[in-house]
Amino acid sequence: MSRFLGFFQGLAADFMQGDIFVKLSALFPGAGYFRRRQYIKGVILTLFQAVIIFFAITVAIPYIAKYSTLGTVAHESFFNPDTMKNEINDYDHSFRILLYGLISMIVLAAALVIWLRNIRSVRALEVRAREGQRITSFVEDVKSMRDKRFHIVLLSLPCLGIVLFTIVPLVVMILVAFTNYDQQNMPPTQLFTWVGLQNFRTLFSNSITISFGYAFFKVLSWTLIWAFTATATCYIGGIMLSMFINSAKTKFKQVWRTMFIVSIAVPQFVTLLLVRNFFATTGIANTFAAQWGLTDFLRNIGLIPETLTNIPFLTDPNWAKVMIILINVWIGVPYLMLIATGILMNIPKELYESARIDGASPFKAFVHVTMPYMLFVTGPYLVTSVVSNINNFNVIYLLTNDVFTTTDQALANANAQEVDLLVTWLFRLTQNFYNYKMASVIGIMVFIVCAVFTLVAFNVVLRRNKEDKFQL
Amino acid sequence: MKKVKVLKGVFFAGRHLFLLALALFWLIPIIWLVCTSFSIQPGINISRFFPEAWTFENYRLLLFNSEDTVARFPVWFKNTLIIAIFTCLISSSFVLMVSYAISRMRFKGRKALMNIGVILGLFPGFLAMIAVYFILRSFGLTNNHWGLVLVYSASSGLGYLIAKGFFDTISETLSESARLEGATEAQIFRKIIIPLSKPIIVYTVIASFLAPWMDFIFARIVLNSGIATDWTVAIGLYNMIDRVLINSHFARFCAGGVLVSIPISVLFVIMQKFYVEGITSGSVKG
Repeated sequence: MSRFLGFFQGLAADFMQGDIFVKLSALFPGAGYFRRRQYIKGVILTLFQAVIIFFAITVAIPYIAKYSTLGTVAHESFFNPDTMKNEINDYDHSFRILLYGLISMIVLAAALVIWLRNIRSVRALEVRAREGQRITSFVEDVKSMRDKRFHIVLLSLPCLGIVLFTIVPLVVMILVAFTNYDQQNMPPTQLFTWVGLQNFRTLFSNSITISFGYAFFKVLSWTLIWAFTATATCYIGGIMLSMFINSAKTKFKQVWRTMFIVSIAVPQFVTLLLVRNFFATTGIANTFAAQWGLTDFLRNIGLIPETLTNIPFLTDPNWAKVMIILINVWIGVPYLMLIATGILMNIPKELYESARIDGASPFKAFVHVTMPYMLFVTGPYLVTSVVSNINNFNVIYLLTNDVFTTTDQALANANAQEVDLLVTWLFRLTQNFYNYKMASVIGIMVFIVCAVFTLVAFNVVLRRNKEDKFQL
Repeated sequence: MKKVKVLKGVFFAGRHLFLLALALFWLIPIIWLVCTSFSIQPGINISRFFPEAWTFENYRLLLFNSEDTVARFPVWFKNTLIIAIFTCLISSSFVLMVSYAISRMRFKGRKALMNIGVILGLFPGFLAMIAVYFILRSFGLTNNHWGLVLVYSASSGLGYLIAKGFFDTISETLSESARLEGATEAQIFRKIIIPLSKPIIVYTVIASFLAPWMDFIFARIVLNSGIATDWTVAIGLYNMIDRVLINSHFARFCAGGVLVSIPISVLFVIMQKFYVEGITSGSVKG
């Protein structure tokens, strides 16, 4: 903040103390450079100014002007007697206003920053000239791009990509959460507009017609249970498997490792779709379960309802949840085995040596040496992997889409299902029901959940770890 | 003495039998995939694990039957290959550029950029997808392979962490002495750091090449025209086990799964060595 204020104080001082060309450059950014014979820079800035003015008049101002209403002219088609055809009026497209208006604001803000900073650099040039210092030529400026300012070359294109394909879309969708953009208000035929916090209120409310509050807490709790169970099971399973394979008593280590790696080398969508058919209601798993008497046994002990003749692997809410976690173990353990193998090999041998001399059993060595070391090294990985499991779309979607249908009417009213994560619910809301406003609200909730978790985890878990003895 | 030896032998056998059982459990779906791809029955065989009779027919139909409008595997493979090559070129250069700048250079706003990267990672990717779709549409890039390349690669700079972890481990004295000899930052990047970074380059290149083969959700949103010749392998195969098609195309889906898995497995096995290195070194250095 103080840097921000400092910039404007410096700017004001520069502007007041500068010569006529510094003051002129507030109107014509190229002016100061022409004075110092930096003609190329002067021309570039003048061209830039022309482009920005043209852009502001033709695109930015018309869109930004409509930002407070998101458009007022509805889509209409009328009969034009001159051309004898149905024509469409010059209507407002709310989403386009939202999107292009935002891009316009970003461009204008960037131009503003360049404009203000330019005044300061022109003033700096003037000071240099007065003190008799040499003024760098354009060629030298370009050359510095390869050295001191090389990071600008490296970062500009990737950052442009991130702004256009991540930041702008995210901000647009966050804005959508404050509008009534849904199936009833869909451009181009309808307009949508700002509604304030109404959608957030909907998310927490329950009535005869709205069940978002009920659905949200149900989906949220399953999302959290899933994220922690999935991470924990894969983590523990992976470490155990890798220790088992790496043990001195195991022969053909590489063969075993390869066998597990094969299962993750096949693309996930292939294996998941395959497994889904394996466990289908009339699938092969059910055939064998019936032949071996497993189905009858499970029915006798009450794990499947009397009315069913098959095991509802992926169609009953509880069965499906357990199956999803088990199938995820199948997918995740080999990955963790790979990572754990690399880390286990890096554990300093001296740690085990001293543990052995102190008379620790192998189990004690595991609890007091292996696990703390693993947790220390993989701490950040664990935190990010909980976050990526909160957003783990593939497993749930591929296993349950078209297979699972909810019988809970209140959930169905909100277009949710028992096995949904927040992200799959969000996805269904947009793809099948065009309920963009609620999807955006849920997206913001996902962000809040992930952000809170990450902050807490990094502050509590990792700060304690920093004082750990492993960081030598 | 003998007793101990016998006991040891039992433990040895038990340990390996247990591993074998686990490995089999992990391989069952893969074995089922391969077997079904050779099955004479075009749909799902729900009564037997292994097919009744073996045939190459599924592969023949998949590769050489151009009459089947829903199974255009060679075209899908070509589409995905082109998309993957361009995604790979753009993504890997973006990742290497960003990670070098963040790891080896010190400039104003570096910390801020890293923080923004962390925050962006917390938003679900699909949330932005609707707006991305509109951006693509206004440039006429939906139902277009270039649009998909952009979706995969434009934001790839955000995935710089692993490569940064690797660059962090390269000794700073190397760059320092090069600077004393008068090398520019660009020369240090090109002539010193890049030649030393083969492992992480291989990892980055393969990882970004594989992304288009694995993803189907972004592909389905961008290529939504329903024209089979536009699709990538993932959408095509997903479509094959649609409720309408599954009984006639399941074996062909498996054959396609096998065909696409072979090159991916090879690349994956090469990559996993570097994956481990990257993950471990990256997380230690932070």
